[in-house]
Amino acid sequence: MHSFIDQYFKGDRAIWLIAFFLCIASLLLVYSSISTLAYKYHGGNTVFYLVRHGFFLLAGLGIMFLIHRLRYSYFSRISQLMLYISIPLLLITLVMGSNINDASRWLEIPVINQTFQTSDLAKLALITYVARMLSVKQDVIHDFNQGVLPILIPVFVVCALIFPANFSTAALLFGSSFILMFLGGVRIKHLGAIVGGVLLMIMLSFFVAKSAPQLFPRMGTWISRIENFNEPNKDGNYQVEQSKIAIANGGIARLAPGKSIQRNFLPHPYSDFIFAIVVEEYGMLGGILILALYMLLFIRVLRIVKQCKQTFGAYLVLGITFMLVFQALVNMAVAVNLFPVTGQPLPLVSMGGTSTWFTCIGLGIVLSVSAHLKEEPADEDSKIGKNVMMEPAS
Amino acid sequence: MKQSNPIFKRSMAIFGLLALFACAIVFKIFQIQVLEGTKWKEKAKSQSAAYKNIDAVRGNIYADDGSLLATSVPIYEVRMDLKTEALTDEIFEANVDSLAESLSGLFKDRTPFEWKIRLTEARERGDRYHLIQRKVRYNELKALRQFPIFKRGRYKGGLIYLQQNKREKPFKVLAARTIGYTREGIKPVGLEGAYNKELSGVSGKRLMQKIAGGVWMPLNDENEIEPIDGADLYTTLDINIQDVAEKALERQLSMHQADHGCVVLMEVETGEVKAIANLSRTKRGEYYEIYNYAVGESTEPGSTFKLAPYMAAIEDGYIDLTDSIDTERGKFKFYDTYMYDSHEGGFGKISVQRAFEVSSNIAVAKIINENYGKNPQAFIDHLYKIGLNTPLGLEIYGEGSPQIKSTSSKSWSGITLPWMSHGYEVAMTPLQILTLYNAVGNNGRMVKPRFVREVGRMGKVQKEFEPSVLNEKICSDRTLTKLKAMLEGVVENGTARNLKNAHFKIAGKTGTAQIANDKYGYKYKSKVSYQASFVGYFPAEKPKYSCIVVVNAPSRNVYYGNLVAGPIFKEIADKVYATSIDIHDEIQSVDIAGRIKIPVSKNSYTKDLETVFNSLNIPYVLRSADGTWARTITQAEEVEVYRQKVLSGMVPNVQGMNIQDALFILENHGLQVEIQGSGMVKKQSLKAGQKFNQGQHIRIELS
Repeated sequence: MHSFIDQYFKGDRAIWLIAFFLCIASLLLVYSSISTLAYKYHGGNTVFYLVRHGFFLLAGLGIMFLIHRLRYSYFSRISQLMLYISIPLLLITLVMGSNINDASRWLEIPVINQTFQTSDLAKLALITYVARMLSVKQDVIHDFNQGVLPILIPVFVVCALIFPANFSTAALLFGSSFILMFLGGVRIKHLGAIVGGVLLMIMLSFFVAKSAPQLFPRMGTWISRIENFNEPNKDGNYQVEQSKIAIANGGIARLAPGKSIQRNFLPHPYSDFIFAIVVEEYGMLGGILILALYMLLFIRVLRIVKQCKQTFGAYLVLGITFMLVFQALVNMAVAVNLFPVTGQPLPLVSMGGTSTWFTCIGLGIVLSVSAHLKEEPADEDSKIGKNVMMEPAS
Repeated sequence: MKQSNPIFKRSMAIFGLLALFACAIVFKIFQIQVLEGTKWKEKAKSQSAAYKNIDAVRGNIYADDGSLLATSVPIYEVRMDLKTEALTDEIFEANVDSLAESLSGLFKDRTPFEWKIRLTEARERGDRYHLIQRKVRYNELKALRQFPIFKRGRYKGGLIYLQQNKREKPFKVLAARTIGYTREGIKPVGLEGAYNKELSGVSGKRLMQKIAGGVWMPLNDENEIEPIDGADLYTTLDINIQDVAEKALERQLSMHQADHGCVVLMEVETGEVKAIANLSRTKRGEYYEIYNYAVGESTEPGSTFKLAPYMAAIEDGYIDLTDSIDTERGKFKFYDTYMYDSHEGGFGKISVQRAFEVSSNIAVAKIINENYGKNPQAFIDHLYKIGLNTPLGLEIYGEGSPQIKSTSSKSWSGITLPWMSHGYEVAMTPLQILTLYNAVGNNGRMVKPRFVREVGRMGKVQKEFEPSVLNEKICSDRTLTKLKAMLEGVVENGTARNLKNAHFKIAGKTGTAQIANDKYGYKYKSKVSYQASFVGYFPAEKPKYSCIVVVNAPSRNVYYGNLVAGPIFKEIADKVYATSIDIHDEIQSVDIAGRIKIPVSKNSYTKDLETVFNSLNIPYVLRSADGTWARTITQAEEVEVYRQKVLSGMVPNVQGMNIQDALFILENHGLQVEIQGSGMVKKQSLKAGQKFNQGQHIRIELS
């Protein structure tokens, strides 16, 4: 048995365990919180959703397994291609994607009739691309025009394409790219200039949206959400109130799987507000456990980074993991009313269909890096990577 | 890897930030649970949101030709959330004028200015559930959803609407009691009640929040669980026959100032009820469908019951049609009680068939008493074997139970047998009696009356109902032939001679029963009260329909079944016969043609005229080139058919046409028609051939 696992399951064992655990938690939580949706579409058949979600998770783990067996250096090449594919896809989605709440986020894959969020693909492609560029431009990273700009332009293009339909994802992706650039050694003053520029652009686009609202149909929702967040007593803040009731119901420690009451009142209890269900059914300790798993994931990645001989691998795992953990924290922050309401699911735990698969691809890449640590030569032999040890200390 | 690795150092810094973030989340949980815990738990208790049921749209009830007998019309209550998040001051102010304009234009009850004031004030009050209008029809709602602000939807425009369903019966009184209704807390009425489960569908759910003033406001734009609309009911009722039945019954009831009455017409072979009318007299002397007498009222049937004892006696071989029976002088004593025949002085010695035709009580009582007197239970068992003591098992709630007592009954007495034999000391509903007669018409096969053919949704059949047989053979064919001859005799030579008809034969039986009233016995309002009835089938040779008419308590001294109930039967039979070509005999046309009298015909559709003339062998000549409509002139030897074209923009000539044709032509032509009188069109207010404008009025006078 052990040899079987050793033979096939490579990479960081702890990350595997974290992924398995999150999948199991996901099954329990989704099954509990799906009742409303099940009644809406399948006459109360919650098992239908359990099976469907189970299939997505299982397939996701399969994808994760396949991906982790690949050499991660392939992803460097693929990232370029994926980025070139995702930019037109984002454009198409924006123009003609299926429209949920005025937000064009989904595109249907023609043959299998499965919608997927093009931003999921773009997120992964962009992070990989940034990781690649950072390692390629390592020599000139201190120079804004030669080192920073070639990375910054694709980041801006992708984020700008996601922005009109999905503000929070665009912000999350930009934030992750930004952090990755910080990790990649971009100078603080350059980073500061980027922040300044972004703030200016956001102000500008708000101004445009106010004067020509049809360009940004979602703007009304964002403004109202932010306004609501600032005025916590306003009666429109129904979702947050329901989430807080769920959290208060949970208490410090509780073990009440499937006993959530608030799932009936919370909108999207199986995705956006799943963390509230975690706390309601498993108490504060349950919530902390889930939180700790994501933090542990980041710690494990720090270990990988420490052992990494190639900068590409290090940036890749850091970028992907940071984005994943940050998204998880944002989701939880929304549930506990630390952040205004955004539509970010809890990675791996929320019922997300194809978005689960993209999370699994990300984790597969992380595992691939950790699996191939020892085999990888130092960066001198590689065309794309530079040896970390040769970096001058900054 | 060295400790000075810059990536690692910066990663640690990021990890620190994430950890800080995580701590903040944990703190927030702590804050919500511990510091604000009681507040949220209180809030949870007074949780103001709940799932409310939304009714599904109830299915329709159709007549056999697809006419709507009952349908649900959705009506909406429209409200507005004036403080919805995305409805900013700018948007509101920019559009409130045009919204007020549109609302005023749609509902026409307030001026645009009044609407604007109302909306603006409601917004200032922060009204999140402002009533715009109740009882909004669907097409109005459709228009409403396109109005400025409202077209932005629930969240951005604040438009809220709740659906209710209003049940309507397009034909009002027709078969109203049989169609029935449902209301909470009452016993199911009619088909609506019987098929409530199928019709009502599955209600959906909608998340609603209780707001100030105890009103429930929907939280989301759409229903959380969409209701599943109810299935439709396809009945066997024929709306035309129903109309005739209801009208004939009403006329006869009011003529005799009767208390109530009912009519049922059934298809012999299938038991499909084509018409069922029940009318009760109100205090103001009008008649309404208030109680389903045909289904529910179990009374002593009187003479119509005699068919059963004759059936038993003939089947058991005790009598034959030609046997002679002494009806004495119209008065005969059984034990201690006298029995009378309605004919003063009696009939003397007559044949068994004749005794049935003149409805002699003494004859049937003597036959049964003499042959079953020693073993009355044999007679009772025979009636039971036919199935007369079991209810029909109708789906409509409230069927009256038939009562045919057994010899072991406490109330069984020495005169029970003779009295039972002429329809007293037994009780049956009109529909149960009809089922017996129908069985005779159907060659002994007793089928259950049925009202519903199928249950379906959107043209798809969900459940089909087959004719259900209660008794495969109620008696032998030999007996049947004799019973049929007796029933035909009643109309040919007996008590119902007034129903005799040249075109087709009716077979049936009259009944005139004294009504036993709970309080007064056989005396009602200190007078004897009667129930007049006629039941039978037609055409006698090849029965297609059976029908029963029961009129209760006619109060103008005319109470004989043939005189009170008979005319209703005849009117319905004539109408049904006239409209069902498939039961006509072919002899008919020869008959008319043989007379060489050319009938007068109304002006009509050319092809129809040709069909009629051809099938009746009436000679006719076509004049003028062609044209869909025709004017006829009856000559001595033939009919001249002048075809005419109807040209658009010119008033057509409808004189000499019947009302249907005239209406069809004029209205299709774009004229608004006003009608005076009835019969054939004599005059039209606009001259034929003159030009007119679309929608112009034309008055036609009929006589």
